[in-house]
Order: sequence, then C-alpha cells, then structure tokens
Amino acid sequence: MHQNKTISSYLLVSPYLVHILVFVLFPVGFSLFLSFHEWNIISPMEYVGLSNYEKLLQDQYFLKSLRNTLVFLAIHIPLQIAIALGLAVILNQKVWFRAFFRGAFFMPVVVSGVVVTILWQQLYGYEMGSINLFLMELGFEKIGWLTDPQWAMPSIAIMATWKNVGLYIILFLVGLQSVPKSLYEASSLEGATPWQQFWHITLPVINPTVIMVMILSTIGGFSLFIEPYVMTGGGPLNSTLSAVLYIYKQGFFYYHMGYAATLGLILALIILLVVFFQRMVIENKQP
Amino acid sequence: MFLLNRLYISCAVLCCLASCRSQQQDDNTFVFWSSSNPEEIKFTKQYVDQWNESHPEIPFFFQPVPEGQSSEEVLLAAVVGKTTPDIYANMWQGDVEDFARSGVLIALDTLDGFLEFLYQRCDSQVVREITSTDGHIYQVPWKVNPIMMMYNPAMFRAAGVEAVPTDYSSYLEAGAKIKMHAANANLGNQWLGISEVNPIWWQRFFNFLPLYYASSRGAPIVKDGKAFFNNEHGIGVFAFLQKLYVRDYFPREQQKGQSDPFLASRIASTFIGPWTIQQNERFKTEGFEYDFIHMPIPDSMTGPAYSYGDPKNMVIFNTCKNPQAAWQFLQTLVTPEADRDFLALSGQFPRRKDLDSNPLFVDYLQAHPKLIPFARQAKYVRGMDNAQYMKEVLDIISQEYEACVVYGLKSPEDAIAAAAKAVDLLYLND
Amino acid sequence: MKKILFYILLGLFAFAFLYPFIWMVSASLSEERSITNVTLWPVSFTIDHYVKLFQNIPIWGSFVNSVFVATIVTFGVLVFSSMAGYALARHRFKGRNLLFYFLLFTMTLPFQLTLIPNYILMVQFGWTNSFAALIVPGLLNAFAILLFRQHFLSIPQDLIDAARIDGCNEFRILFQILWPVSVPTLITVGIITFMTTWNDVLWPIIVIREEKLMTMPQLVTLFAVGGRSMGQIGMKLASATLLALPIIIAYLIFQKHFIQSMAASGQKE
Repeated sequence: MHQNKTISSYLLVSPYLVHILVFVLFPVGFSLFLSFHEWNIISPMEYVGLSNYEKLLQDQYFLKSLRNTLVFLAIHIPLQIAIALGLAVILNQKVWFRAFFRGAFFMPVVVSGVVVTILWQQLYGYEMGSINLFLMELGFEKIGWLTDPQWAMPSIAIMATWKNVGLYIILFLVGLQSVPKSLYEASSLEGATPWQQFWHITLPVINPTVIMVMILSTIGGFSLFIEPYVMTGGGPLNSTLSAVLYIYKQGFFYYHMGYAATLGLILALIILLVVFFQRMVIENKQP
Repeated sequence: MFLLNRLYISCAVLCCLASCRSQQQDDNTFVFWSSSNPEEIKFTKQYVDQWNESHPEIPFFFQPVPEGQSSEEVLLAAVVGKTTPDIYANMWQGDVEDFARSGVLIALDTLDGFLEFLYQRCDSQVVREITSTDGHIYQVPWKVNPIMMMYNPAMFRAAGVEAVPTDYSSYLEAGAKIKMHAANANLGNQWLGISEVNPIWWQRFFNFLPLYYASSRGAPIVKDGKAFFNNEHGIGVFAFLQKLYVRDYFPREQQKGQSDPFLASRIASTFIGPWTIQQNERFKTEGFEYDFIHMPIPDSMTGPAYSYGDPKNMVIFNTCKNPQAAWQFLQTLVTPEADRDFLALSGQFPRRKDLDSNPLFVDYLQAHPKLIPFARQAKYVRGMDNAQYMKEVLDIISQEYEACVVYGLKSPEDAIAAAAKAVDLLYLND
Repeated sequence: MKKILFYILLGLFAFAFLYPFIWMVSASLSEERSITNVTLWPVSFTIDHYVKLFQNIPIWGSFVNSVFVATIVTFGVLVFSSMAGYALARHRFKGRNLLFYFLLFTMTLPFQLTLIPNYILMVQFGWTNSFAALIVPGLLNAFAILLFRQHFLSIPQDLIDAARIDGCNEFRILFQILWPVSVPTLITVGIITFMTTWNDVLWPIIVIREEKLMTMPQLVTLFAVGGRSMGQIGMKLASATLLALPIIIAYLIFQKHFIQSMAASGQKE
C-alpha cells in the first residue's frame, strides 16, 4: 500500500518533471552554452568565447532598448497606478451601474493585444487618426503619435495603460474591500478628511497591491513585443525598439542564435535584479 | 485505471499531432513556391497545370510563399526548419550567397543544359553578378523590376517646372516650385515626392540603392568583405535625400489612409517599378497623366543612369530529390513565350538580353508604350553584390538613413562612415 | 449637482474605454474612403472588407486552429497541473519540498531566457510548422500547479481517506473525488490558460510559418504587418474585429468568471 502510494506520487508529478527538464532546465543550460557560440542553425556551430558578451557591452541598440523600456515604465507605472487606484476608490463606493462600469473598464483586458494595437494604430494615425482629428477639432496641433521619436514610446505606454488598467482596478478593489469599514467610521467621528482617511487608512492596507502592480507592470514593460512589432517596427529612430523585439530581430531575422541567446540571458538577469530591487526598496519603506 | 488509460490515449493523440507535420504532398510530387502576388500566382498556375498535363509522371504542386513580414524571413525559417520547397521562384539575389554557403542550394551549373541556357539568356555582366564566390551558380536569373522615377507632368506644368528634372539640383528646384505653387494657389499640402521612411532593409530598394547605382554607375555596396559604399556616391546620395526632407519636399509621414496620394495629385513624383502601371491604369481618374524617367543623377554626370533592378531568381533546394527534373520543369517557365506571358500578366520584366531584338517582346512593348522606359532601363540595372549578410548591411544603412536623411540628425559623411564601420564589423569574423 | 458631475465624469471614462471598440466595428463596416468620418455608426455601410478578408486569408481555418490549440492546451494544463498540484499538496515523498521550491523558482524565470533555446528545441524535434510546437510546451505551467496545490491543501483529509478505503487509486481520487469539488479553481485555471494561449502571438510567429496552421492572432498580426492587406485600413480593422469577437462574446456571457480568474492571475506575485 505504502509502496503503491509512493509510486503513484511519482507518477502524478512525472509529467511535470519531464516538462520542466525539457522546456525549462535544458533551455536555461543550453542558452548559457549558446552564449559562447555563434550559430545560424543551418551551418555548424562555432565556438567564439566571450565575444558575444563583448559585443553586447558595446551594442548601442541593446542599450537603446533598455533605455526605451525605462521610458515606457516611467510613464506606464505612475499612470497605471493613479488611474487604477482612482477608479477603484470610486467604484468601491455606492455607485449606480457599478457592474457596467467595472465591465467596461475590464473589456480591453480580455481582448488580444493584437486587436488593441491594430485599433490604436489607426486612432494614432497622423493625417487620418481619430485622436488627431479630434485634437484639430479642438484647435490643437496634430501630434505625430507614432511618427515622432519623442512621442512614440509614450504613445505605446498610454495604450498599454488603457489595455491593462481594468485588471489593476479589480486588484485594487480586492485590496480595498479588505479595509474594515469600522476604521473609516471611527476616523470620521474624529473629524478626519477623506484625504487623510485615504492616506492613513487605505494606503497602508493596499500597499502590497501597489507593489504587485508595479512588479507586474515592470515585467510587462520588459516583455513588450507585439505593440512595437505591429505599430512601429521599433522606429522611429529606434525609439520604440523593445528588448524582446531586438532579441526577435537578432534571432529570427538574422539567425544569430548565439547572440540572441546571450541577449535573452542578460535581459533575464536584469529583470530579476530590477524586480528584486523594487521589492526590497518598497518593503523597507513600509511603515 | 480507466482514467489513466484516457490520459495515455491523450498522450498518444498528442504524439500523432507532433508527427503529423503540415501536409507534405506525397513523395513524388515536387513542391514549388511562387511569390504571393496575385498576377504571379495566375502565371504560375497556368504553367504548372500545363506541365502536369504533359508530364503526369513528374507532378508539380505549387503554392504562394506563406504570409510573413517579408517572404525572405519566411524562407529563412523554412530553411532552418527543413521545410523548404523543391523550387522557390522569388529568391532575392542578396540572399543567395548566404544560402549557398550554408549548403542548402543545388549548384545549377552541375545540371545538364544549364550553362548553355544561361549564356543564351544573359550577357556576361549578369552571369558575373550571379556567380557565387565559390565559382558555382545557384540561381536562374528570372525577372527584374527596374526602379525609375514616376512623375505627374500636369503637376510639374502647373508649378512652372518646364523640363522634367533629371539631376539633383533641377529636382530640388522643382520641389521649391511645387511648394510655392501649392501655397500660393491654396491647394493644401503638396509634395515633390514620397518615399517609404521605414528603416527596414528592403525599403532601401526604392531610394538609396537606385540612387547609389545611378550616381556610381553600378558600384558595389560591399566588396571583399568590406563596406564599399563609403565614397562620394554614398555620401552624395545621403546629402541629396537629406535636403529633400529638410526642405520638406518629401513628407516624413506616410500619406496612407485615403486614396493613393500620387493618383490624387498630392505627390508629384515617386521612385517605383513597372508593376505600378497596372495599378495606375486600374485606379486612375479619367485623363490622369503619368510618365517615367531615370532616377535623379548628380549634376555633372553624363552617360546612362543605372538603377537597382530588384532581381528575383529561381533556386532549387537540396531537399529536392531530382534536381535534373526540377530544372527540366523550370526551363518551361523561362522560354521566350513564357517570359512574354509573364510580362503581360504581371507587368514585370524577364531578365534577358534580347528584350529589344526578339520580335516577341518588341511587338508587345510597342503595344504597351508605357513599359518602354523600363525596357530601356533594364539594360542598365544592378542587382545585389554576391556577399553574405546583405540584408543586415541594408538594415545598417537603413538605420543611418533614418537618422541622417529622414530626421537630419547626422551629417551625410558621419552617417555613411558609421554605417561602413558597422558593416566592416559584420564581416570581421569571416 | 455634484453627483451629476461625478457621473458625467465616470461616464466619460467608461466611454473612453468602450468607444475605440465601437469605432473599430463601425469603421470595419464603412467604405474605405469614409473611415475618417466614422464617429459612432458606419458611414456608407458595406460588408466588403469582410468579404475580401475571407477571400484573402484563411481566417476561418485559423479560428479553428486557435480553438483546437487552446482547448487541448487548457485540457492538458488542467489534467497535468492538477496531478502535480495534488501530489505536492497531499503526498509525502522524497524530494517533494525540493520540487516545491523549484516550482517557485521557475515561476520567477522570465520567458526571454528560454525563448531562443526552446525554438532550437522545436527545430531539433522537427516540430516547426506543426501543432505540437504550439501545444506541448504549453501543457503545464508552474502557476497552475501552484493554484491547484493551494486549493487541494484546503480539502478535508476525510474525503481522501474515505476514497482510499473504498480502494480508489490516486488518479481516481484526483479526477473523480477532488475535481468535482474544485470547480472554481478549475474554471480559474481554465480561463487563464485558455486566454493566454488564445492571445499568444510571439511563440506562434516563431514556430509556425505555414498559413494553414496559423493561429488567429498570428494570422491577423501578419496580415496587418505583411503586404497582403495592401494598406487597407478597413480590412485590417475587419480582421481585428473578427479576432476580438469570440473573446468578447465569451466575456459578456461569463463576465464574472473572467474578472475573478484574471484577478486571481494577478495574485501570482
């Protein structure tokens, strides 16, 4: 009986073991191995020592892609948290048609990123895009949303916020609902303003959610691919070249598999470091 | 245990799925990929059907190259995944050297009757251009699309441009006049020309490359594993194009959205190939005029203006079991009659030396005079250098093109030098 | 008065989230020339873009492919992840804790790390241009295992013991005793898996190059960036509308489940 159960334990986890060996462990090892080689899959593999790493250190495009990611995150994260938190606080009160509003904000979350990018590419159009036509109606100048190097990445960040904010509204709502109602009542009696209440009661409770939103957005920022791929191809002036798009280019345009693997490896390390850092800094700040 | 059985069944189903790859036709059938252009599909279908009727023992199956961002990208993936067709008929010349070195192409000069055919079709310059660095020939020269300047004579006339601009300064002058005229007559935005600014390699076929070849009389881009374009011609072309954008004669924004801006008379000229004629005839308004002339050349230059020919060739992959039979089939696609049919159907030119002597073509061109400038230009075209990494080279040039030409952030000298340096690095390890 | 202003503001916000979709549908039903005039309703109504779309690309086939792939992957994830989750929650065996920590570790690994080697793996297996490449790597994921483990920890031991006394083997316990009492978790994992598989584009673009095997988002993406749409906005928007439609319909029907599941997926950090 006992013997039997042990066997079935291993039987139960065996698909997971096989899967992780083949699709996680081996790839991690192999990508380290690849990073010392040059290989286009068709021709024989060539050992190149550390030259992929040397190339990476001087690679202006990789640096540019990291800088672009920073630009994206600098706009996306604050915008996301502000809008999501604001709308969540509103929806947490007694509001008519609450389900409707929540459903509306959530709609872009379920739709494929491809739909959102194709759609916004048209909205962002310079001559014919709805947004510019609207701006001109109001008497403003047209903006080169996707064609002006200054604007292109912010435009993508705004779009990404629009796409994801519904999810974060829900997460904040979950957090807000865990704040005991009695606390608000008690502080109201003591004459606290709504702002003070938000600052001293609400924020400490939902702090973990804020951290979570930051980390999820950061990972999302480093994973940006389909948006620049469809909308801008990484341009203009590489201002929307994302790290994953660059890996894709090196890997699947030029078949520099060794170099692409090196880029993936270093990028993964950077992501892990950034996330770890964020967590440390914020958790230390907590009261 | 029945649940476990069910699991095993699911696993078995999955394994079957894994092994069932995209339907490969049964083993004797040759697979042939054409380009996905509708006219070419029509042409290919006609000739494949003909062949299958007369040679039932060597059946051919054709399909257009699968959808992708570019057909070159799709093809490369097929080579890597070992899912190449037997024959591919839309091979960009710049890719052949890469594939030949990887050993995935059949050396055609080893096949019976190939060399005789080749010398009959092409002159020695073309043969030199398509001969690989190892001395073998891996491609059948098939078609060219010379890039020329298309212009709107009515717009030029209205703006007071008397002679059609042929060199840099007259072209720039025309730009000033068109701008002024549009402003004075309140015509809204009008431009001298338009060209795709996207920094993707193949967009340089329609601006940098033809201008570079015109200026340099067909000098190489890369030679002996080094960048060759860092010369007066490369810099001159960048400087010329940069002026077009700095002075706002060319728009940076693509005029997509509504109808073709050229046909709508908002753009006075553009650099394009002969396929545009069919499009224009289909969509133009009554009485709309357009004409073609060679690419703008430097002011002091004389003699014929070369251009980029955008050659696409046919290749046989080494996955093909019977290359000789494949070659036998390919020959039926490049007979004079087939070439004429191809020209008539697709508006693209066969790459052969007797375009102006063979009555078959002479008669056809006489009946279609719009094509005549392209037929003349076809004598003065260059394809691609026989070197590795040509796509990457053009991508590198495109990056500098965007910074220097389109956004004016760099001087032409700096931009060309930076591109040349990056290209040299590319070849460093070989 | 203040209240009305508040609702107007909230309404404007909701409008900003819904309007693009309305515009997309209307524009896809308008003539190409009039698309710039579209505000809420189609201008010069036509279904031309849809007709041309169906003629140009195998969009229906890609829909079937997507449903097929996403269904099998979802089923696989439910079966295999619940198996592992069950063993990790309720069994004692050598290496269990190690396995669990390993699970937590792999969850933090960014996909950027394994993208290239996994592609090469597909090439070596000869799986490029086959559904296997889309299905097999997705059959298990660490997050689903974790959710199942968490859930199975909360199930009373009596239930399992009773089944064992009845002579059920472990697989039977899992699928016949535990699954029926785990419907909410199954729904959550199912919806998340189905949606991520359905919406994934990067991986299909890399491993599938044969049009007949493409998933719907992939085909629509390539249609939008490739040459065949010929810059026609109406057709692009029509393809995007068709791609959005199935998920939006599913969302409208199962709204509550969607929101709950996605909220749960957010908790993974």
